[in-house]
Amino acid sequence: MNEQIPSNILVYFFREAFRRIWVSKRSSFVAVAMIAISLLIVGAFLLISENLGRAVTIAQGKSRVEIYLANDANPSQIAAVDRYLAGHREFARRRFVSRDEALRRFSSYFTNLDPIVRQLDGNPFPPSFECDVAPNSVQSATFAREVNEVRAIAGVDDVQFDWEWVRRLKRVVNVINIVGLVAGGILALAAAFTIANVIRLTMMLYREEIEIMRLVGATERIIRGPFLVEGLLQGILGSLLALILLFTAFLVARRLLPPANALVWSFLFNGFLPWQKIAALIAGGTIAGYFGSWLSVRESGEEPA
Amino acid sequence: MIHFYHVTKRFDAYSTALHDVTFHIEKGEFVFLTGPSGAGKSTLLKLILRQMRPTEGQIVVNGRNLNAMKRSHLPYFRREIGMVFQDFKLIERMTIFENLSFILTAIGLSAKEHKKKAYGALRAVNLQHKINYYPLQLSGGEQQRVAIARALINDPLMLIADEPTGNLDPDLAQEVLEIFSDANLRGSTVLLATHDRDLIQRSHRRVIALDHGRIVDEKPATAEKPAARGESMFVNWS
Ligand SMILES: Nc1ncnc2c1ncn2[C@@H]1O[C@H](COP(=O)(O)OP(=O)(O)O)[C@@H](O)[C@H]1O
Ligand SMILES: [Mg+2]
Repeated sequence: MNEQIPSNILVYFFREAFRRIWVSKRSSFVAVAMIAISLLIVGAFLLISENLGRAVTIAQGKSRVEIYLANDANPSQIAAVDRYLAGHREFARRRFVSRDEALRRFSSYFTNLDPIVRQLDGNPFPPSFECDVAPNSVQSATFAREVNEVRAIAGVDDVQFDWEWVRRLKRVVNVINIVGLVAGGILALAAAFTIANVIRLTMMLYREEIEIMRLVGATERIIRGPFLVEGLLQGILGSLLALILLFTAFLVARRLLPPANALVWSFLFNGFLPWQKIAALIAGGTIAGYFGSWLSVRESGEEPA
Repeated sequence: MIHFYHVTKRFDAYSTALHDVTFHIEKGEFVFLTGPSGAGKSTLLKLILRQMRPTEGQIVVNGRNLNAMKRSHLPYFRREIGMVFQDFKLIERMTIFENLSFILTAIGLSAKEHKKKAYGALRAVNLQHKINYYPLQLSGGEQQRVAIARALINDPLMLIADEPTGNLDPDLAQEVLEIFSDANLRGSTVLLATHDRDLIQRSHRRVIALDHGRIVDEKPATAEKPAARGESMFVNWS
């Protein structure tokens, strides 16, 4: 009883599905819009986490240790620290940041805070050393011991590792991903139910025809085919629409936000989704559409009196 | 080919459409089912197509017990039967050609064969020139002939028709009867429900008469017209 579906039946499925979507444009549009909205939300979350994740990777690539000196550290103390750093492989790639330079940097990152900085008496920023550390060496015991030794040098105030915030950022990225997936999943489910209702409506519209098909010997598979394809097409259309909207929003956001405005935004809108995630979004929409139509055709099926 | 054993069909407590009906139609027979309006003819035909199930009794069609048949087999069972419905059951949004080819799609025939088969079936009922019309652009009689063409299109094992001449003038009715006779000669078992007595008398075929859901009369085919192969000459009283 497991018949092969010949190619002309697939042609018939698609032709019928397109025609039915066209005939009930309005409800089809609602279904497509529902899919698009839910995927747009998932996509937005994915886009943000994607870019944050990219920032994490970049930051990890050149893990940085910052050695803050006391505000009143004198040149000979600074020289002593520099000597120690030069003598240890992990810290050798170092750069001295003077108090003035630290202030300048801060003002350029946070232009809107500039007036406040100007009102301060004097410069609140301490001098520091920035060391680019090889990412794999930070785990080693030697490194931990050397950090303690640096801390003990006179004039050293604090030693901070960048991977502390990298770790925190990673956690943020994970939370964003989960929130996006959960919210998107719920919405996609709602979209699937919308599609189920749209298909149910279409089936009502065609119930006489379906009855005739049954009486002349059409299998349920042939009867349901066009409806399943209808849901599938709505899902694909919805996900394509979502991607177009997301990409447009991405371009607009990048254009509208001036690069000087903030570090944060510039790396949030660094790049669009990779093709794998684009494919996953389309697959998600398609599955939601198919699931929706499957829900409604599953209920159909005659049992005569 | 078609066997009813003590079949009763009740729709509700007060109306019994068929009451203890037993008859047998063998392969290759041509049988009229007759009786006044409301006698139960349509109900009997619907039971054969398993559009509904009997309340009591057994029905065996083409070697299959309909009570025991699995739903998944139903489509394949129905493909053996060419049914002309009383209300035609044409799909209004489709052209005549699409109405016919849609069946061929449903049974999985390649698109190439559709045109040939549809044209052939329409020529048999003299409507090949209306192939691209929509059902509502045709007269009642023409729609009926399209319904007949659809039933014939796949050379069915059984041809079953519910008042197939109901909308036709006598000449056309006679023509339609010829079409069924031809199908019968090609091997289809034919069962025609009609209340047209003239038609029945002229054709000398076997007749099963219903009234109020009971078989009230059965006449074998008369000798005037040679009986088709395998036609039963005996009344099957139960
Ligand atoms: N679906 C139904 N529900 C209730 N009663 C029905 C139904 N179909 C037919 N009947 C009744 O069954 C009887 C036989 O009907 P039918 O088989 O259509 O007769 P015929 O085709 O000989 O005119 C009638 O009394 C009719 O009212
Ligand atoms: Mg009737």
